[in-house]
Amino acid sequence: MKRVMWLALAVLCGCGRPQQAGKQERQVVIGVSLLNMANEFIVTLQAAMQERADELGVRLIVNDAQRSPERQVQQVETLIAQRVQAIVLNPCEVEASSPAVLKARAAAIPLVNVNSETAAQPAAFVGSRDEESAELAMDYIAQRLGGVGGVLMMEGYMGQAAQLKRSAGAQAVLARHPGLKLLASQSAEWDRAKAVTLMENWLQAYGPSIRAVFAQNDEMAMGALLAVERAGRKREIVIVGVDAIRDALQAVKEGRLDATVFQDGRAQGRGAIDAALRLSRGETVDPEAWIPFRLVTRDTVETL
Amino acid sequence: MRYRFDRQSLTRGLTVWGPRLGLVAALLTTCGVLALLRPHFLSLANLTNVVRQVSINGLLAVGVTWVLLTGGVDLSLGSVVALSGVVAAHLAHPGMYPLWVPITAGIAAGTACGGINGLFVARGGVPPFIATLGMMTAARGLALVLSGGRPVSNMSPTLTRLAGDWLHVPVPALILGGVALAAGWTLRNTRPGRYLFAVGGNEQAARAAGIPVRGIKGLAYTVCGALAGLAGVVLAARITTGQPNAGAGYELDAIAAVVIGGTSLSGGVGSVGGTLLGVLLMGVIGNGLDLLNVSSYYQQIVKGAIIVGAVWFDRRQRGARVK
Amino acid sequence: MLDNEKHAAVLEACGVGKSFGGVRALRDVSFDVRSGEVHALMGENGAGKSTLVKLLAGLHRPDAGTVRVRGRRVVFRSPHDALRRGIVMMHQELMPVPELSVAENLLLGREPRGRLPGTIDRRALRREARRLLGLLELHLPVDAPMRTLSVAGMQTVEIARAIGANAAAVIMDEPSAAISEREVQALFRSIRTLKERGTAIVYITHKMDEVFRIADRITVLRDGERVRTDRADRFSEAGLIAAMVGRELSAGRLRARTAPGERLLELRGLSRPGAFHDVSLTVRRGEIVGLAGLMGAGRSEVAAALFGLAPAASGEIRVDGRPVRVRSPAEAMRLGIGMVTEDRRGSGLVPLLSVRENITLAHLADCCRGPFIRRARETDIAAQAIAANGIKTSDPDQAVEQLSGGNQQKVVIARTLLGRPRLVILDEPTRGIDIGAKRDVHALIAGLAERGCAVLLISSELPELMALADRLIVMRQGQVTAELDPCTVTQEEVLSYALPV
Repeated sequence: MKRVMWLALAVLCGCGRPQQAGKQERQVVIGVSLLNMANEFIVTLQAAMQERADELGVRLIVNDAQRSPERQVQQVETLIAQRVQAIVLNPCEVEASSPAVLKARAAAIPLVNVNSETAAQPAAFVGSRDEESAELAMDYIAQRLGGVGGVLMMEGYMGQAAQLKRSAGAQAVLARHPGLKLLASQSAEWDRAKAVTLMENWLQAYGPSIRAVFAQNDEMAMGALLAVERAGRKREIVIVGVDAIRDALQAVKEGRLDATVFQDGRAQGRGAIDAALRLSRGETVDPEAWIPFRLVTRDTVETL
Repeated sequence: MRYRFDRQSLTRGLTVWGPRLGLVAALLTTCGVLALLRPHFLSLANLTNVVRQVSINGLLAVGVTWVLLTGGVDLSLGSVVALSGVVAAHLAHPGMYPLWVPITAGIAAGTACGGINGLFVARGGVPPFIATLGMMTAARGLALVLSGGRPVSNMSPTLTRLAGDWLHVPVPALILGGVALAAGWTLRNTRPGRYLFAVGGNEQAARAAGIPVRGIKGLAYTVCGALAGLAGVVLAARITTGQPNAGAGYELDAIAAVVIGGTSLSGGVGSVGGTLLGVLLMGVIGNGLDLLNVSSYYQQIVKGAIIVGAVWFDRRQRGARVK
Repeated sequence: MLDNEKHAAVLEACGVGKSFGGVRALRDVSFDVRSGEVHALMGENGAGKSTLVKLLAGLHRPDAGTVRVRGRRVVFRSPHDALRRGIVMMHQELMPVPELSVAENLLLGREPRGRLPGTIDRRALRREARRLLGLLELHLPVDAPMRTLSVAGMQTVEIARAIGANAAAVIMDEPSAAISEREVQALFRSIRTLKERGTAIVYITHKMDEVFRIADRITVLRDGERVRTDRADRFSEAGLIAAMVGRELSAGRLRARTAPGERLLELRGLSRPGAFHDVSLTVRRGEIVGLAGLMGAGRSEVAAALFGLAPAASGEIRVDGRPVRVRSPAEAMRLGIGMVTEDRRGSGLVPLLSVRENITLAHLADCCRGPFIRRARETDIAAQAIAANGIKTSDPDQAVEQLSGGNQQKVVIARTLLGRPRLVILDEPTRGIDIGAKRDVHALIAGLAERGCAVLLISSELPELMALADRLIVMRQGQVTAELDPCTVTQEEVLSYALPV
């Protein structure tokens, strides 16, 4: 890559031919606004986008909205002003981030939503169906328990799209298995430390009737795991998380965590850049590209 | 002579202990109600849980008591917890360094943050709210930079033992106990401790009495930062990772506990004992709401109501005393 | 008893009493003012004049006794309550709305309504404003913003406002303090207009000549009690002063003059822009130097510079003949300087700490080993100081805010003396404390000089300075104007150097 640039530069200096310079300028620039770079999954997503962009010789301008939809809209406005050829949006919020989509549409810049949705319709969407992750996890629990036993569910921040969808997915599976009893469901706000505390309290409140814990993300699953292990009850309790973060995969490998659900951030990131590049060239793409979830257990963890 | 049971000393005893008695009564009532509703609330295992769970908020609250006594505030606690946790976790991979290195480094990170806060407040004259708000953002950013946004895991079990038990007592609770004793004793029995009350009670008078007002303020923020650093290390041990996004909002829980414990937001009044009661009350309520499986939505309402209610009740009692 | 019984009392206080934090400001005072009368209220600083009128105007509520309006008992919950009953108070610091026009201020709260709801009829507003000012034969621009007016102008607007509101009684707290003689004449014309309209007027002043020009009756307060109420023409000037000052004045000097010792403190050309200029003075061992002057003459500022609270910009301070720099109170204390600051609640005491803790605060190191407080030693030291300074407290661990004003002041003094200072600066040490405590404080100050201490005493009570000081230094507008011998000089002479030219 670098060598190519040097070559181009040498040609440029040596011959001073303007059309060569024109080729340089036409490098595609894609603007990206991400939900929150303090989140490991988003970091994975971003790394995959960068990797794909480098492969394709595309330049990325990456912004971190730090969970603020307002900031996200401003960032997209700035990207539009910079005349980027395409935008990849990782929305903060269903409604509040929608103006960003509308503004890009008005400026005739193709915009791809990645990982989560907005109310406004983007040019393309690349992501996974959040309900599916909870369904996979809960099905696994049902299978491990033989359809009978007490289950606890740790929820994310109440009212967030991921929490709502993962709860819905889990409830759908529970409805199919009348033998599974939901003992309690509480929010640990996606947070490992809060999950430790909540699990400690649950162990007191529900004692031996707990057979499984479904945590809506791996951070909370890791917290629950710590509390259960400290109470010396891991052998009786199945714990499943979602997201397949590094810690969780390690724990699955070690046989401590029973399972997690892999949301293929890498495929989403790469897919989003592919779609954005094709749209910027005026090609058509699939308006909704669903990247499937995968259940990760000790048997399958090596295949990732 | 020492034990005159005349009316005056009785009244004085009540005025000094009155607000505290109200808090003790609130704590006992809460415990009583919970024990009736959920008998295993009083089980040794659950009570152990409660003291374990309150230790981190307790460490922060004891530290911020010092700052509130001077009439200041520290909003950077949560971020400092995250930063020191990340720093400690970085140095605590198995076989890397002896145990004291990550612990010291974590505390040092917190101390540095507190020291900078103190410098800006005491020397630079920046309002505490603003100085520590800046630190809240900057420390969080630094934690994210150091960790690359990912939790720092693969922690040596020697450090995680910091969150374990020692003779069936949770180590974090032992740490909190030791720190609280030292902090409370220092406030009551040393010159810097006395000066802290004087600076918060009447800064002008303290200055006229030749007290190094700036130094005392700086000290309060530094101690607060150091304890936040320690809390960060303990938290990292408890969750076996250094989380760059840990501790969000912890400062508000800590300040709430301190104010419930009778420390005035305008400075000059308060005690570590009261703070511990406030911390326990909040911890018991959190534990109880989980045991009762109160919905997450309602938990937030209940907690908010209790914070305001406790302080309102306390202020009403004091108001009556002044009249 | 009095001639004009035909006039009924418009506003009246019956046996009112009021205390602030253990300090009795008023005790069983009765006072009334009648329609069309100017009733002057006189007394020294701290005699209770302001407290009394604040009770009448609803700013305070009495602990004992009642307030009556036209004979009916009333309880004012706020100044607004009083205003609704026609009681208007003009404050020492006037409080108009500076950005609004004269007309808007005049009719504040009573604006003529316009045709649409919520609007103001501006034409009617200005017409009414001109009419009110015309009654006082004043020609102020009604559209000018209030802030462009002089103090006297603002006062007349306030008076016009009282007329407009059909006030039953107007209370004026030292209205002539900050205005020129010509403006005073205009003020008196306005007051006469008010009188003719049947308004009752309470008038607080310190100035003898004014009182006899304007007052119909005079009431004298001293130390919170009523001394005498009578028709103005039945008072002589001397009799009025005697009533205000009481027997204390005739008691004369409280200590014998001493032979001056060596020079301990010398100030040479000390200046701080905006506060004081070119101040030079000397204080010797065993000598009390009194610093006289009006409030704002720069006396407290000089003291603050000496004690390192607000260092001087230029000039020299010498202690024992050696030039020194004092940049903080701690440095001043190391040089052997101690100070009892003005306003004990503001900068003296830490109200929530105990008596013991307040006493040892500045010299806590004496009770410590390293940083650790030795409780027994602290208790001993505090107990000795309590005894030595005659502090009346039930318990050294009592919160200092529960003590009376006089005992609080003694706590501040005890703290200062704990450092065994060679020079003690006392700024208004007897302000707002009762007679008994005052006597104790005077004895403490005299005792200090006797033991060889150099004392710089700042007081606004001339009799106090004249009774205690060996020399009097008078300041006016930041500069030293005279050095006088308190044994031979009269109060009037001192005042002539203190009053602004």
